[in-house]
Amino acid sequence: MSVTSDRLIEKVEADGQGAYVEYYDETEEHMVINMGPVHPSTHGVLRLLLELDGETVVKCLPIIGYLHTGMEKECEDQTWRAAVTIVTRMDYLGCFFNEQVYSLAVEDLLGIEVPPRGRYIRTLMAEMNRLSSHLVWFGTQGLDMGAMSAMFYGFREREVIIDFYEMVTGLRMNNGYFMPGGVWEDLPDGWEKAARSIVALLPVRIKEYEDLLSENPVFLERTKGIGVITQEEVLALGATGPIARATGVDWDLRRDMPYDAYDKVSFAVPLANEGDVYARYRVRMAEMRESVKILEQLIDQMPDGDFKNMDPKITHPPRQEMNRSMEAVIHHFKLSTQGYTVPAGESYAAVESPRGELGAYAVSDGGTSPYRLHVREPSFVNLQSLGPMARGGLVADLIASIASVDPIMGGVDR
Amino acid sequence: MGGVSDTMGTNFVTAQLDKLVNWARKSSLWPMTFGLACCAIEMMATTMPRHDLARFGMEAFRASPRQADLMIVAGRVSQKMAPILRQVYDQMTEPKWVISMGACASTSGVFNNYALVQGVDQLVPVDIYVPGCPPRPEMLMDGIMLLHERIKRGEYFAGREKQDGLAGVNAAPHMDPETHLSAGRA
Amino acid sequence: MIEVELTGSEWLERATALKDEGWWLADLCGLDRLHLGFDERFGIVVQLLHRERKERQTIHVAASGEPPTVPSITSLWSGANFFEREAYDLLGIHFEGHPNLDRILMPDDWVGHPLRKDYGVGKVPVDWIPQPVLQIGAPGQSPKGDEAAVRLDHLGQVIDEGGAP
Repeated sequence: MSVTSDRLIEKVEADGQGAYVEYYDETEEHMVINMGPVHPSTHGVLRLLLELDGETVVKCLPIIGYLHTGMEKECEDQTWRAAVTIVTRMDYLGCFFNEQVYSLAVEDLLGIEVPPRGRYIRTLMAEMNRLSSHLVWFGTQGLDMGAMSAMFYGFREREVIIDFYEMVTGLRMNNGYFMPGGVWEDLPDGWEKAARSIVALLPVRIKEYEDLLSENPVFLERTKGIGVITQEEVLALGATGPIARATGVDWDLRRDMPYDAYDKVSFAVPLANEGDVYARYRVRMAEMRESVKILEQLIDQMPDGDFKNMDPKITHPPRQEMNRSMEAVIHHFKLSTQGYTVPAGESYAAVESPRGELGAYAVSDGGTSPYRLHVREPSFVNLQSLGPMARGGLVADLIASIASVDPIMGGVDR
Repeated sequence: MGGVSDTMGTNFVTAQLDKLVNWARKSSLWPMTFGLACCAIEMMATTMPRHDLARFGMEAFRASPRQADLMIVAGRVSQKMAPILRQVYDQMTEPKWVISMGACASTSGVFNNYALVQGVDQLVPVDIYVPGCPPRPEMLMDGIMLLHERIKRGEYFAGREKQDGLAGVNAAPHMDPETHLSAGRA
Repeated sequence: MIEVELTGSEWLERATALKDEGWWLADLCGLDRLHLGFDERFGIVVQLLHRERKERQTIHVAASGEPPTVPSITSLWSGANFFEREAYDLLGIHFEGHPNLDRILMPDDWVGHPLRKDYGVGKVPVDWIPQPVLQIGAPGQSPKGDEAAVRLDHLGQVIDEGGAP
């Protein structure tokens, strides 16, 4: 008898036959095998249960939870300011986006404004992060399909951008740089030169990569018509980001519901129609170019002023003031020991991360720690689109599809 | 050295077999792909052109545990992943070493909670701990070079001797149902 | 705090109506309202997005019964599948009509629902083991030379003068 995907896992656990084949159905001659969680091509610890008819995938069931870190519970144990360090480790390729969405949600609850310079700095770092995340996607997409050089090129450019992060925030990854109210420290001297050199370098390199892959017959063979998902399926599943834009869904939070400084810059939102791996590739490459354009505008328009909201109730006053003012000392003490309280309420904020709509839902009960923090991670939802993408294709095509979905398991499992 | 060089000239180098084998082992240590979370990205960055790990003969990350000698546990190990980590470690062939990369693998890092195994040394014997969140590629390379020194000296089981009485398979910590505090090391 | 709170039966009707209007499911999560003073302890929070109108909407649905149950909306938006499984796994909220309500993030044999307010964080007490300290004479004095200092190797371990490092 055949096994429906509802009870597939139960059946598999019950009569697992041997180390490789989980289950074999004699009537339909379908084989259920397990892929992952330790596998060179599952980006992180993703486990897939594949029902195969020979080499063709009939059903693909993602099983997640191998990186569950209990971050939402951990945030309930931290102060509002300290939760940034937990949230930043969720989607570990888009660290600034996690921090940005959390800060936006908390600023909404606090009812405070971020000064213009703070907003521009956040947008600048976020767009740099989009570039570095897409460069890693480019690397892994190539690597999974055998084009190993793509990995080296992608990471080579990423190192240049990571140097910029290190210059500004002190860390290469998991920087706790954004906070509710703005950013932690101002941009250092010499940032403009570094940023402009990145902006000058990247279009040249992006063009090189497009020359390598976009017209390459082997690459086209492996990506055109592979992993197709239709617009209806995308809308039903709630998939966002390049997956949705590659099927023609014209929606980008940066343009349509702008936040931070996105309403001050002009950029295009790349779209495609086919919904296959090649379309997603084209959309992401175009997004990289648009990010470079946004960065140029941001560097030109960077205003002066405060980089964070200087309300002493939520931000440590400058240290020099502690010599002169008793209130500053008291504020420092309260902020460093208990942290600030956030008025009771709930808020939902969303940003456009490289993978789609990243949302943060924060509930406060008037205390110094979040009562509930839920992060709506785009990869969590996008993984469900692997089912339609994999159906009817070969196992090798599934690998290409996973790479094009670009899941980050840290965000999926939180 | 005397012996063969005296009679046959300087075209031969003699050495103890042990030393040769150790030198060969350390010069082409093949890591296993056990990248779990953020540290995996830094581990990948260590093999990339900027901080080139291939200089040490380690660019071949083998996905099959049968072909790997070094398991770099890069990232946080959740309760669901713990038995798989142990199973993969058991499948590796001797001699094998473990580097616990990052704060989460060494001691669960920032996350002291129900979902993570508090340090991968509760599951497998660790030879080198590399702190950091995530450690810079240079720090990982420093850890790897320390391991190379150990291998050259012939200390295969240094990690295991230190952790006598390791509980073995499924050594995930036991949680007290009242307080949900772990009982610490099994 | 909450503007729209529905019961389970109202929720399915409202969701169908909203879907026909063109609303799209952005997020669905569970909420344990133990300390917030509501009638029902558990509820779900749904974020909806309307792309044409560029609007967002938040709906709270109370989960009633024992175990707390809410109708599932996977028949309307199939992307709700993972969201509802997560709310079940971490909070114990059951979804009627869900095709495969299994644990998704915790191991399958895990007992308990971690995000509930009566479930602890699971902190492990940290052992602080005293380490050897570099003695350089009494406090306030300059180092007296090698006899007073303890030598450490590059790993920070004390070097015994008798044995090998």
